[in-house]
Formats: sequence, C-alpha cells, structure tokens
Amino acid sequence: MTGTLKKNRTQLITLAALAFLLVTAAQGLETKDWVITVLRGLSVGMVTFLVASGLSLIFGLMDVLNLAHGEMFMLGAYVGWTVFVRPDTFVDILAPLLLLFVGFILTPLWRALLARVRFSGRAAQLWPWMAAIIAFIILGLTLVSFPITKWDPEVYAESPITFSLALDQGNLALPEPKPFEAAPIIAILGTLAGSSLLASAFAGFGQRKQTGRMSQHIPRGPVITAVILLILALAAFWGNDALTEWLINIGTTGRFFLAMGVATVAGFVIGGVMETTMIRPLYDRPMYQLMITLGISFIIIEVVRAIWGRPEFTMPKAALFSGRGDACPAESIGDLIANQCSTVILFDGRIRTYNEIFIILVGLIVLIAVGLLLRRTRIGMIIRAGVQDSEMVEALGINVRQVFTFVFALGVALASLGGVLAAPSIGLSSVMGGQFLLLALIALAIGGLTSFPGAAAGAILVGLIQQFIIKYGQIGINIPFLDEPFKPSPPLVPASVVLLMVIILLVLPNGLFGRSE
Amino acid sequence: MGNLLEVLNIHTFIGQFHILEGVNLEVPQGSITVLLGRNGAGKTTTLKSILGLTPPREGKVIFAGEEIQGQRSFDIAALGIGFVPEHRAIFRDLSVLENLKIAERKKGDLARKEAFIFNLFPDLKRLIKLSGMNLSGGQQQMLAVARALVPDNKLLLIDEPSEGLAPVLIEQMMEAIRQLSQDTTVLLVEQNFLMASRLAERYVIIEEGQSVTQGAMADLVGDEETIHRYLGAA
Amino acid sequence: MQTAISPKQNSTKAWLKDNGGMIGLLIFLAAFPFIVALFEGQPFTEVLANETGNAKFLQGLLIEVFILAIYAISYDLILGITGLLSFGHAMFFAAGAYFTGIAFKNYELGIGATLVGIVVLGIVQAILFGIVLPRVKGITFALVTLGMASMFHIIIQASELAEWTGADVGLQGVTTPDLINTSTERFRLYLITLMVTFLVYLVYRRFVDSPTGRVCVAIRENEDRALMLGYNTFHFKLAALILSSITAALAGFFHTVHQPIVSPNVAGLGWTVAALLIILMGGVGTLSGAMVGAAVFRLLEFFLDKQFGENANFLLGVIYVLLVLFLPFGIVGTWRAKRFRTQS
Repeated sequence: MTGTLKKNRTQLITLAALAFLLVTAAQGLETKDWVITVLRGLSVGMVTFLVASGLSLIFGLMDVLNLAHGEMFMLGAYVGWTVFVRPDTFVDILAPLLLLFVGFILTPLWRALLARVRFSGRAAQLWPWMAAIIAFIILGLTLVSFPITKWDPEVYAESPITFSLALDQGNLALPEPKPFEAAPIIAILGTLAGSSLLASAFAGFGQRKQTGRMSQHIPRGPVITAVILLILALAAFWGNDALTEWLINIGTTGRFFLAMGVATVAGFVIGGVMETTMIRPLYDRPMYQLMITLGISFIIIEVVRAIWGRPEFTMPKAALFSGRGDACPAESIGDLIANQCSTVILFDGRIRTYNEIFIILVGLIVLIAVGLLLRRTRIGMIIRAGVQDSEMVEALGINVRQVFTFVFALGVALASLGGVLAAPSIGLSSVMGGQFLLLALIALAIGGLTSFPGAAAGAILVGLIQQFIIKYGQIGINIPFLDEPFKPSPPLVPASVVLLMVIILLVLPNGLFGRSE
Repeated sequence: MGNLLEVLNIHTFIGQFHILEGVNLEVPQGSITVLLGRNGAGKTTTLKSILGLTPPREGKVIFAGEEIQGQRSFDIAALGIGFVPEHRAIFRDLSVLENLKIAERKKGDLARKEAFIFNLFPDLKRLIKLSGMNLSGGQQQMLAVARALVPDNKLLLIDEPSEGLAPVLIEQMMEAIRQLSQDTTVLLVEQNFLMASRLAERYVIIEEGQSVTQGAMADLVGDEETIHRYLGAA
Repeated sequence: MQTAISPKQNSTKAWLKDNGGMIGLLIFLAAFPFIVALFEGQPFTEVLANETGNAKFLQGLLIEVFILAIYAISYDLILGITGLLSFGHAMFFAAGAYFTGIAFKNYELGIGATLVGIVVLGIVQAILFGIVLPRVKGITFALVTLGMASMFHIIIQASELAEWTGADVGLQGVTTPDLINTSTERFRLYLITLMVTFLVYLVYRRFVDSPTGRVCVAIRENEDRALMLGYNTFHFKLAALILSSITAALAGFFHTVHQPIVSPNVAGLGWTVAALLIILMGGVGTLSGAMVGAAVFRLLEFFLDKQFGENANFLLGVIYVLLVLFLPFGIVGTWRAKRFRTQS
C-alpha cells in the first residue's frame, strides 16, 4: 500500500492540487451555479472523451496520431443530422451504398481467385489499372442514375438550415421523391459490377506486392456478409417508400436514437475502410501516416461543405428532450420522465435535460462499455497487450492486423457517436471537428497518451476547467491589489486549458495515468 | 532424426542496414540447439527472421518441411513456433493469468497445460492474479517462458533466458528448459556459455551476420580455439 | 605558391560544378520578371519601375513562395535533421511577423533595429522551447510545443491586447519602410527575398555538413548513442532550435513586409501543418525538399484556387493523399533514392 503511494506520489499530489483548485473554484459560487457548472463541464468532458478515447486507443495500439479524428466527429454529426431531419435522403442513399459495399466486401474472394489465375509479367502490371478505370466508368454512369432527394445547400429555402427549422417547429414538409430515369435493374447490376471490378483491381494491386505463396482458400465469411448486404440493399431499394414512411412515423425520439446508431455504424465502416486502404500501407512510415490523416481531414471538410453547404446550422432536439408543457420545468426526476421536459430544476438551478443529463449519461454508458470491452474480453486483452508491444502479440500467432482495423474502426465509431450526440447542443459547422480534436489532444496529454482511463479523466478535467473559467469570465475573478474583478475576455478561456496541459506535462511528462517507458 | 527447422542462407535488412549476411542453421527434431556469438552478431535478428518479424529478403526458412519465409508473422507462429523474447517482454498491464491466456490458440489450451506449467514454475501459481509489472525480474522471465508453453508449439525460440538472473534462478531456468525440451524442440540464444554447454546438444556460431560453424556441443566444449576466437574468453 | 592555390581553385571549380543547377536557378529566378515581361510585351523599364502587370503579380506570388521556403526549411532543420517533432513552429513565424508589424506600426523602428529585434526574439523563443526540452520527449514534446503555440495564438487574439495585436482582426495597415515597400519597390523586395532564401539554404547546408550538424543528425538517428558518445545532446538540439527559430522569425519579418497585414491565423496549428506538409511533400530532412515543397505547395494552391475556386481544398487533399501513397519519400527524397539506385 505504502509502496503504491510512494510510486504514484507525483500523480497524487497533482490530483490533490486539482481537487483543491476545484473546491476553491466552487467557494465563490452559489450552489446552483456550482451544480450547473459542474454538469456543463461533465457534458463537454463526455463529448471530448468520446473523441479522445478513440484517439488514445488508436495512438496506443498503432502509434498513429489520427489528425482526421476531429473530422470523423464532424462527419458523425452530419450523418446523424441527415437521418434525423431528412430520413428520405437517408433511405435513398442506402441502396447504392450497400450495393457498393457488396462489391468491396468480396475483395478476399477475388484475392483467392486471383491466386489461382496467375497473370504473367506485363499483364499482371497492367490489368488492375484497366479494371480500375473501367470500374470507375461503370460506377460513374450507374451511380448517378439512382434518384436521391437532396436538399440544396446553395438555395436558402431548401437548405439544411430551413429543414432544421421546419422540423423544430413541427411543420417539416419533405420534397416529393424523384422518379427513376432508367431501368432500375441496370443501375443495380451496374453498381454491383463496378464495385466488384474495383475490388478485384485492389486485390490485383495487392497481389503484385505480395511475395511468397498466396492462400487459395475461399473465405466463407465475406461471401455470407455480401449476400446479406445484397438482400438488405434490394429491400432498401424496393421498400424505399415504405421505409421512408415508417421513419417519418416513428417520430423524432425514435429517429434520434436511430441517428445515433447509424452514425456509429457509419463511423465504424469509415474507420475500417480508412485503416485498410490508407493507413495500413504506411505502418513503417509514421510521419506519412500523419500527413495522410491530414489530407483525409481536408478532404472530409470539403466533402461536407459540398454536400451540406458552408453555413452553420442546428440540429433540433428530439421530442423526448424538448417538452415544454405546463408541468415543465420538472421539479423532480419522476416528473421529468413523465413529461419529457426540456429542463429540470435541481438544487434551484435550471438544468437542460439533453445537454446536461442525457449527454453525460450516454458518455458514462460508453465509458463503462469500452472499459468492460478492454477488461473482460479477449480482444480487449489483446488490445491492452498490443498497446505495450504489438510485435510480441503478433509473435504469439494473433492476427494483429485485424485487431488494428477493429480498433481504428471502433475509435472512429466513438468519435462519430460523439458528433451526433453533440450536434443538438453545439450545432453543426465545418470547424467543429478541429475544435474538438484540439480539446481531445489536450485531454490525452493530461491523462497520459495511451491510457484509456487517462483519456476519460483528462477529458472530464478539460471540460470542468473550461466551464469553470467561462463561469468566472462572467462574474469576474477577485485578484488581490486590483479594485475591480478581472474578467478575462472569452478567447482567454481556451488558453487556460492549454496552460493546464503544459503545466501537467512539465510536471508529469507522461500525463496523470501514463507510465514511463 | 530429421530437421524440424532449416534456415538456408538468409539475408535480412533492418532499414538500410544489412544485418544478416547469410545465416545457415539446422535444428534437429527434439534437440536443444544453441545460437552463440558476440553481442550484435545477429542472433536475435536470426530468431526474428525465422518468425518473420524482420522478414528475410533472401534465403529460405523451412519449418516442418514447409517454406515459411515471406508469410505473415502470426501465420508462422500459428504453425507451432513459440517465441520467448529477450528482456522479459511480458505484458506489464496484464495479470499473470491474462499473460498466459492471451497465448491460447484454441480454447482450453491453458486448461490442458496448466498442470505442466505450474509444475515447471511453481511460483507462478501463487502470483496468478498479480499484474505483470509487479513481478520481479526472475518471475517475469519465467512467465515469458511459460507463456510460450501454453499452445502446442513444436519449436520454441528462446532469447537469452539467463540474462540478468541470479545464479539460483539460472539453475531453475535451466532445469525448466531441460524438462520442457522433452516434448519440444528448442532453439536457444545464450550468452552464458557454461549454461549453454550444459543444456544444448548442438551449437551454431554467428559472427557479423554470418553463420560460421555448427556442430555437436560435445565437440565445441573441447575446442578452446574456436571458443576463444568467436566467443571471446569463455 | 601554385600548389597551394590550385586545390582552392579546384575546390571552387568543384563547388561551381556541384552547384551549377542552383546557380542557374538563381539567375533564372532573378531574370524571371523580365522573361515574363518579354512574353507580355511589357517594356523592361516598367518592370524596374514596378508598374502593375503580370510581371509584378508573379513576383508577388514568388515572394510568397520564398517566404514559405524560408519558413519550411527552418522546420526541416528541427524535424528532418534533428528529429524533434514540434507542433509549435507557427509561433516562431508569427512572433516574427507580429513583432515586425508592431515595430513598424507602433514604434516606427528602422529595418536594422527590427532585424536585431528579430534575432533576439528568435533566441528567446528557442530558449523557451529549450526549457521544456530536457523534460519531455517525442510526441509529448510535440504536445507541449503545440500548447505553447496555442497559448500564443490565443493570447494575441485577446481583446486586452487589441492596441498592439489588433485582437482577432490581426494587424492591419502596417506601414513598411519605403526601401522595401512591396507595392512601390516590388522588384527590390523580390531580389532581396530571393537572395535571402538562397543564403538561408547555403547556411543550412553548411550547418548540416558541420560537426555540429552531424551530431544533430546523429541525435535524430539514435539519441542514446549520441549521449553515450559523450555529446551533450541538449546543447546541440538547442543550437538547432535557435537557428531554426531565428530563420522562422525572419520569414515572419518578410511576411509582414510583403503582405503588409498579419492575420492571427499565422499563429495557428494550420500554419505549422503547412510547414509539415511542405517538407513532407518535398522530402523530410533534405533541406532542398523544403524549397521544392514550398514552390509546389503555394503554386498548386494558387492554380487550383484559380481553376476550381471553392473545390480547391478538396483537390489539395486528394493530391496530398496520392502524394503520400505514391511518392513515399517526398519529391526530392524519391528523386534522390532513384538516382542513388541507378548509380549503384
């Protein structure tokens, strides 16, 4: 016991100092202000945690600092908004997207088939390029023929802003679905053929690099997944209207939870694709991984601007969190649940249900779930081992590449979930990713770069300190020898959080929970 | 007695550095073979090249009659090669039990081998719940060896098991290796010549990235000149 | 006598031979405004009198390239040569830019005094980074420097400092001395920045070839080994930081002179990332890669912006990703590797 105390002396002192600071911070405040500030801090902290946890898992296991992680957060918000406000577009896009995946998921099948058909010399060099070009032409011709009812980011009357406002006021009118121009069957078959061809081209590129023998074994998993996806795609295609109808009828609450789910799944898929296609070839060149994640972040920002437009807009809150009836604001938790109030009175302060309760709740659930995954499952064990020494994990005969992909996908999924969770409270803009990436980096630095509990603690600290300083910015800080209280201007708030990071890093270079090598 | 492992003229690069410039070795089935050589001669790289952790650019590695060079490390390991790296590379954040469990290739591997492992290293049973970082150096080394015993391995690559251990523990480690070699073939890297000469039946000497000589241990023990030339004062 | 002189002559000749390409480039760039004028049918006297036209416009664009090159090469020294990953490099640049602007605007300092100030500023900043250097390594150093630079970025935007830094608007309407005014003396400024860029490059190459620079490379390769060999690696890292910081501040000086406004953006993470992208494109640790990268970076940005307007950033992103995947060691790095392979 004393041994552990001694070992972690610096950590304990730092934690005590932080606790002391928080208590003094609370001194000058009324209870209600204090409670609200703490809750807001926790809420910001939880969103930061969702970004930081993925960042820390990815950095810990693969030594990749994913600078596109903030943009994954942003993408989650925009995807969630689309499912929530424009379910018709979401349904329209489902069929072509699933069809694309059917083709790609069969890559291992192509690889196995290619191992049997060996092309010689020049042909092996050329054919993947040919296949890729033909695939792009086919996809270019067929993908556009899927009718997608879109908003127009350029025209105000049909922009995301307008649809958001309309939904919030309860008079959302969705545009008529567009008819199919050509025969649907051609579009479906064309997309399938195009994506399969592209996948075979990728398999061909991979084959050229590989030395040694290739497995000719036909993998069963991808084929089954592809068939399931194909059935889903066809169902989404022919059940388009019914599905849209159903999504509109389940109301905002149901749709919001669906949006959270879709954003998470989308993040998982995007993360997996990103790791396998762009990060994996670069594991022996870390600087270039940094650069490629930067490039990806630029691309995503521009894609988002092109699809959803440049102006900021808001995401309405689901009915569950926006009740404004007579019984609101609720006096107790029981009232709150019964009336679905948007605010609740606790300790005499008005607390917003969504921002200050729901976000924290979801954050806690994720924290516990990921914690359990890491502590209680075999894959969690492998991840923890890999953070320390992934080469040794490989030497045990564990396919560590698959674990890398899983962790990358999981990290991006968490960030994406964070994005959709934060959207109703902070709105959507193309710079939201950068802001939270910086907060997450600070949280990681404070908590210890590769430690999962550290990421959580760091994120919560960052949130709390930021909110307390904002609070003090409003009421002013009494500094001795100054007549008037000092009111820091709003830009100075982030500076204090950064200052905290610098100090902690200088005192504890490995962060609060990190361990020295 | 056939050869379980044959390494034919492998060349390995780390970055731009040509580390192995032609290593040949044979490990007969059921034997203990020891890799000898000075510091930096390429012994550890040889082990890692066999496993594909530092894949050789040229040459062949034949394990149980199958060419394995160029395959992915985890596929090679899954063929039945266990690796005990130098510096007691156990997983510090995992408990002793988890350190053993992670090495399972099939469910129930650990349950079957438990008795055997705890018979070799009785200490580990007592420490089973402890986190890896709280173990002493000797205990960590034993755990590293024990970890390689969990799955059914045909070949164990053991890198410097005696490094930094107290004499008593070295004796214990030697005894353990002798016992486990009754079921498993062992390729050992060892600086401690005394320990190596008492354990191994065969030796391979590596000098500046090349294998210079190999043969029966009994021949080497009497050959003062070779010992002096390649290993310094023994 | 003869024998004493001839090796020197030889070495001069050899130097000329080795650097023929560079000198040719220098001459070409110096003559570039006139070449443009020739194509445009503009009289040379107008170029010398800095009349409006494509010649003047392209000089302005190239001045931006030169400034970026100076800035990027300073980053290459600490990242590519010494192996220190810093995310706070923009601070060096921005401090120089702001200092120049404030010196000209609020204190009406002369060019000489301002440049002396730049050197002092560079040393002070390098020492600031040097203080944290022994405590933190690797990615933690990157985060601490990111933190310091972010604080700088935030503080210069604080409304408390509006009188000097112009808060979140930045410095507007800096009056630069007539001698190097970018609109009336564009050609002179063009030649000055061109010369400074090449001088910086030569100084840096000299530094890398010097014993000090060799130790810096050794630190990048394996700091522990350099320590074991008895070098106090801290001193060498600090030396690289000081040289780099002064150079970056100098780039900031020219930035303010040329623009002549300073936006708070130059202190942000984006500006550090620009330096990182430039040297990654050119080739890390090659020095000349920073120059090539700066040219590619700025000209690419310019042409994409002109051709595609709003979609330019998207294309830039795609080009980065493709560059990384298919040109693994940057432009200069890949070229050198190819030449090396064909030679051997």
